[in-house]
Formats: sequence, C-alpha cells, structure tokens
Amino acid sequence: MKDIFRNVARAAAAVALILMLSGCGAGKTQLRILSGSENQELEAILVECEKKTGVDIQMEYKGSVDIMRTLQEGGGAYDAVWPASSIWISMGDQQHMVKYAESVSTTPVVFGIRRSVAEELGFTQAEVSVRDILAAIQNQNLQFCMTSATQSNSGASAYIGFLNAFLDKDGAITMEDLDNQKMQTQMAEFLSGVERSSGSSDWLKDMFLEGDYDAMVNYECLMISANQELTDRGEEPLYVVYPYDGLSIADSPLGYLDRGDEEKEEAFQKVQEYLLGDGAQKAIEATGRRIGYGGVSEENRDVFNPDWGIDVDRILSPIPMPDADVLTQALNLYQTELRKPSLTVYCLDYSSSMNNGGRDQLVEAMGMILLQDEASQYLLQASSREINAAVLFDDTILQEYLVETPLDENLAALYQEIEGYGTRGGTDIYAAAIEGLELLKNYDLSQYTPAIILMTDGQSNGSTCFDDFARAYEEAGMDVPVFSIMFGDAEEAQLEELAEYTGGRVFDGREDLAEAFRSVKGYN
Amino acid sequence: MKKKIPNPRVVGLIILIVIMAVTGIIYWLAAGEGEIAALDGYLGGEKIGLFEDEEIQEVLLDEYRIKMDYSKAGSLDMVTLDQSGMDYLFPSSQTALEYYRKTRGEPLKSEIIFNTPIVLYTHQIVADALAAEKIVTEEDGVFYLDMLKMTELIISDTPWADIGLPELYGNVSIDTTDPAKSNSGNMFAGLLANTLNGGVTADQQALPLVLPRLQEIFSRLGYMETSSADLFSQFLKMGVGAKPIIAGYESQLLEFSVEQPEDYEQIQDDIVMLYPSPTVWSTHVYIALTENGEKAADALLDPKMQELAWTKHGFRTNVYGAAVSLEKFPVKGVAEDITRVMQMPSYETMEQIIEGLR
Repeated sequence: MKDIFRNVARAAAAVALILMLSGCGAGKTQLRILSGSENQELEAILVECEKKTGVDIQMEYKGSVDIMRTLQEGGGAYDAVWPASSIWISMGDQQHMVKYAESVSTTPVVFGIRRSVAEELGFTQAEVSVRDILAAIQNQNLQFCMTSATQSNSGASAYIGFLNAFLDKDGAITMEDLDNQKMQTQMAEFLSGVERSSGSSDWLKDMFLEGDYDAMVNYECLMISANQELTDRGEEPLYVVYPYDGLSIADSPLGYLDRGDEEKEEAFQKVQEYLLGDGAQKAIEATGRRIGYGGVSEENRDVFNPDWGIDVDRILSPIPMPDADVLTQALNLYQTELRKPSLTVYCLDYSSSMNNGGRDQLVEAMGMILLQDEASQYLLQASSREINAAVLFDDTILQEYLVETPLDENLAALYQEIEGYGTRGGTDIYAAAIEGLELLKNYDLSQYTPAIILMTDGQSNGSTCFDDFARAYEEAGMDVPVFSIMFGDAEEAQLEELAEYTGGRVFDGREDLAEAFRSVKGYN
Repeated sequence: MKKKIPNPRVVGLIILIVIMAVTGIIYWLAAGEGEIAALDGYLGGEKIGLFEDEEIQEVLLDEYRIKMDYSKAGSLDMVTLDQSGMDYLFPSSQTALEYYRKTRGEPLKSEIIFNTPIVLYTHQIVADALAAEKIVTEEDGVFYLDMLKMTELIISDTPWADIGLPELYGNVSIDTTDPAKSNSGNMFAGLLANTLNGGVTADQQALPLVLPRLQEIFSRLGYMETSSADLFSQFLKMGVGAKPIIAGYESQLLEFSVEQPEDYEQIQDDIVMLYPSPTVWSTHVYIALTENGEKAADALLDPKMQELAWTKHGFRTNVYGAAVSLEKFPVKGVAEDITRVMQMPSYETMEQIIEGLR
C-alpha cells in the first residue's frame, strides 16, 4: 500500500516537475540523431514517430565511417547515433557512451545491374561471384557506381568483401593479406570499373537515378527504392546480384549517447520503442528493409520483387569483418593505392570579394587536402597515382598549377603557392570552370575519377555566362561533375545551376569546412 | 464550440497543479526517510535486461534506497577502464575479479550473485547436420555438443558443404565475442584451450602446444563483438548464413523467451541451444568500488531479487533451484542440472591466452 502511494506520488511529482520545466507541457524534448544517409528514406516514419512520441527528432546525415570518427571524438552534440552497421559503433565508442544500441532493420550490400546488362553477362541465370564481376569489368562489359570505402558503410563493406574474394578467403583478412600483390592488382583493376563515387549511399542512389549508369553497389533496400522509381518512369529496372564470396549485411543499429540527461534518455527510449514496435517495423519493412526474426511478412512480400532478382529466402552468408586495426589499414590502402585515382581541378577564387574571410577559409581548406599530415587525419590523403591541378582566378585566369606526381613535398609546394597568392579583381566562375575542362582534355578520363571543384563565393560578374559553360561542356563531351564549396558572402544560385547541370553538388564551407571538404573529396 | 471549452480546462489544470504540488511535497517528505543512493558502474551487456527490469528497479529503490545506473562494458574491459565516478563493476566471471585483484588490489567487497553456463546457439539445419555427424547428441530432450569432435572439425578447415550444408558459405566456425574484452568469448576460449589440451584443464605447460592452434581459430573470426548481448541479437536477426553458431550464455535465450514472447514464438522452431560437453560456468561477480556500491551487494542477493533473476532473466541462483521451475520458460531443451562442467584454466594461464589472442 505504502509502495503504491509512493509510486503515485513519485509519478505526480515527476509530472509536476516536467510541467514546470516545459512551461505547461508545450516544449518537446529534442533528440539529435546522427544517422547514415540511407535512413533519409524513413523520414515519413520519423514524422509519424514525432507525432506519437512527442519527441522532436532532428536527423543529421553522414557516412558511417564519419559517424565512427564523431564517436571517437566524443559524439559531438548528438544524442543518438544510427550508422548503417554495428561495427562503426563498436569501433567508435571508445568512451563507452553508447547505450541501448539495437538493430532497427537489416539489409545486405549487393550489386544492382541493369537487367539487360545482367542478362548479357549471364548473371540472371547462375550464382555470381566477385571474380565473375571482375571478369566482366576486365572485358569492359561493366562499369559501376559505388560509395567511397573510406566514408560510407556500403562502400567499406563491399570493398572488404571484394578483398576477401580476391584473397580466396572465407575467414577474416589479416595484415599480411593486405600485402598480397596479386590481390592488390586485382582490386585496383576491379575499382577501375568505378564510374562514379559518392560519400553516402542515399546520394549514390539519387545520382544513379539522375545519370545514365549501368550498375551500382548499394543496399538491397536502396535498389528496391531505385527500382520503384525506374519502374514508375517506365525504365529498365536493376537486377540484384548477391555475390556469394563477398557479401555483407548492414544491421542499422540505433543507440543512445548517454551524458546523464534523463529527459533525453526517456525521449530516446520512446523513439526506439516506437521504431521497434509492430506498426513502425511493418512500415520500415515496406521500404524494402528486412525486419524482425522470422523473414519477410506476407503483407510486404510484394515489395521484395523476385523479378528484380531479390531473393528473401536465400541464406545470406556475409564475410566476416576484419578486426579494427586490419580494417583501418585496409581503408588506408584503398585511399592511397587501390581506388581509382582522382583527377581534380581546383578552381580557386581570388577575386576581391573573397577578402571577406573567404580567402582565408579557402587556404585553410586547401591545407587540409594538400598537407598530407592533416589530410591523413580525415582519410583524405592523396593516392599514389592521383593528379591535382589548381586554377587561380578572378575575372581572368590568374595562374595555373599542375601536380602529376603527388609526393608530399610537391603537394606542400602547391599549398605554399596558394597560400602566398593575394586577391584582386572581379569574379568569373564560368571562365575558370571552362579552363578546368580544358585541362581535363589532356587525359584519358576512363583511368581517373575526374572532378572540378570550385571554391568561391559564387558572385560571378565577369563576361562569361552559364550558357558559355554549358556549350563548352557539351563540346567536351565528358561526364565531369562540378562541385562547389562556398566561402565568404556566398551566393548559392549560380553554383547550384552548375551542380545540377553536371551532376555535382554544392557544399557550404563556412559552416563546417572540414565536413564540406571531406564530402567533396568523397563524392569525387 | 471551441470557445466554451477553455473554462473547465483551466479549472482542471489548476486543480491538477494543486494536486501535483501537494503530492509533490508529500513525496519529498516521504522520501526523507532515507537518502536515495544513485549508483553508477560498468555492467556486462548480458545483464542489461535485468537492470532495466522495472520490478528489479523497484525492489532496489523501495527496499534498499538504491538506483543503479550503468555503462555497458565488456567484463575484462571494465577492469582497465577509467573508474572515476563508478561505484561498482558487475562482470560475468571470476577471471575479471582475479584481473582486478592483480591490477588494483583487493576490492572493497565482492560477491557471487548468480551463475549461468556457457552454451552454443545455432539454427535447426545446423543442429541437424551436426547430429548427423554425431557431434550433437540428444539426452532427455537436451542437446549436447561434443567439444572434441567439434574442435577437430573447425581446426581441419571443414567446409560447411562437407557436413551437408552447401547453402552456407565457407568453413565451419563458431562466432564469439572478443576474448580479450568480453567474458563469453573469453570463457569459450578457455573451453577451447581445455579441449585442445585433450579435455584436461589447460595449464601454462600446455600453452606452447595449445596457443598456436587457438590463435588460428580466432584469427579467422576477424572483428569480434565486444558484447555478448550484441552478438546474440545479431545471431537472431541476421539469419543462419551470417552466424551459423555462436557462443553465449544460457540465460540469454531464457530471458529473451520471457521478455519478448512474441518474437520468441517466431524463432522457437529454428533456434537450438546446445550445451558444450563439457561446458564452463560463467560466474557473475559483483565488485563494489565505493561504500554506496557496497549497499547493492546485499540487495542483489535478496531472495526476491534472486527469484526475479532466474524467472525473468534466466540466471541460475542459489535460492531457486533450476529443477523445480524450468516449466516457467517456453524454451525446450534446457538442462535441469548442469553436470558436465570443467574448470576454467587458471587466471595466469588465461592471462597468457588473452595476450596471445590480442
């Protein structure tokens, strides 16, 4: 009896306290979740979750490898993390802050290949191995898109799967394995088939749908969503291939970052309980994610369309992830040796409008990429075969630099030049971008991942206009994205236009410079 | 219509606030009979269900004036972690306590709270295949796995296909947590060491022979989870291909069947619990670091608490014999008595094993 009374009293006191704190119950607890981009597709479900739980959910999206890094640094200002796979929490949570981590859904990392191409390759008939795919790449019958292994979980797990396949190993790879020259050669050949890359899985899917590509490595659930759109458009869907010797599964764990705030903790638990509840789980399954323990439910079976090669009854045997040291080393190897080398033209704005803090931000950013000690902290270090060019501009082309041998000292020397240059004149971003195209014409672009990166405030007022650029771009006939990182008093409109036209993207270097730069490099 | 409603609402709200204020005051007065001790500590993941149990929290609060918060950590990890602000450690093995004694001296207090044997979990098709190989045998509805034969199968790089499971890719293996960080993996490594030592508890003399083979087995596993709870949940969710067999605690499936009865129903025909023959006991030792921490030791040994630990969370305790109350669980194939048990290697031997596997 006493207990009951005490419980009631305790509850009432708690309610009274909450009412006092929140000004009569109007304020919502905010929950900031750092999440893999693949969860963007769950936004409708999260809106519903907000309504049901009264928690204000703020989602921020990053690649899973970046989420690991954020955790290592103490978790930033986030209340929860939701990467694509548990391994990134285990590796990142060195301070033991993560609590209640639980898988929300699972989805395998697979190859999606346009059906006609898959048929031609014989992939719709038999079991497919990573080596079969390598053969198709070597015979120049296949190119594909894949996220960066050093940023995103789908890219990283696919890459590890490929390593296992080329090493003929079903157990975890070891440090010694990484020195295997034959594997390195095959892996580099395999990655030479990468047509476009990106820093996150959801963006890769969007890019795929906007462009004209044959295949991508991505989550099964994003293949399903891509196919839904392709089918709506009346276009050919992707055929999903599960390479049996290099498969991995993402388990999408949502975990709380415990800093002793009880209100947040309660809010988190409400959200998690909602997402793991029957209703939300069925809704999540309807987006093509696998849930629960007993296989796909009857009502959502249609979503997993077997005509697309999707096979939910198949037993998925993922390869084991290597231990943390080996994984880090493997990712370094990807970054510096094995990935398709990048060919990047940095167009740097030295117009006088950049005086407003913009120039300093630009120089700092270039230091991050060119000074290798700094770059390696972000897994952004130069690869052994990459090419970097810089075009310094105002309303004219001021200066050009080219580094074809990316030794540390050569890149540092380029940084010195950039740092020493002063601002002047007006702005002509189009002339600079056209100059970038000219530079790229000197190379066989199939051997590189090319990109033009404009670092500017975007206020173009020179004699060249967008149409001039568009004409030059068509004439050049190259698939080169133009990315922009905005600085100073940035004007976004012109940059967006360029990004949209070329399949690039605009980032804000003023908000989180490191972040913007990492993103550009990753998408590159 | 809307205009008429505010009046009663406001009145209601005022009444509510008054009631709350009064009850609030009474509550604070009532609470004056003893300060509530708020404890923080490191907890093995397999006991989170127990600590999150509201009934357990109530016993702690009402009868012992204790609130226990926790940070999840592996049993061995927690000994070396920064312990400032922590009142207790609650690992799942004697080894962790020995480790503590060795590195930090005698703790304020330590008590064995409950036990659970190391078991293996697998799926029906794997259990069937192992039964066909005579590695798994059934006795009185309980499944036992012959550790010697199983270890041979693993050591000899036998593909799953060779034991009739072509649908599984790769070689026969058992997934565990990281033996250097988490207890279930650590104990399974100890058990394997014993097995590799011909079924005799491994000692330091045996290590030159045993350790290289142990290293070989573990190096194939690559990245290992640091928490038994995470490994178990991945095992259940990712299907037979991902983790065909895992090492864990008996308590895990028992707890799952009680806490998530509907989910258990979905998996009960597929998941099989295998008792390694022989197995080892995981002993859950509570280590108090502070005076507040000491208070909880008695609370955890409270008969009420011990009963809840068994009936809701599957930990075998001294108070409630397993034999009498197995029917409470829907899980089939739970052994009444755990008789085929062997000693873990000594702390010094385990220390070298862990070092060798790091």
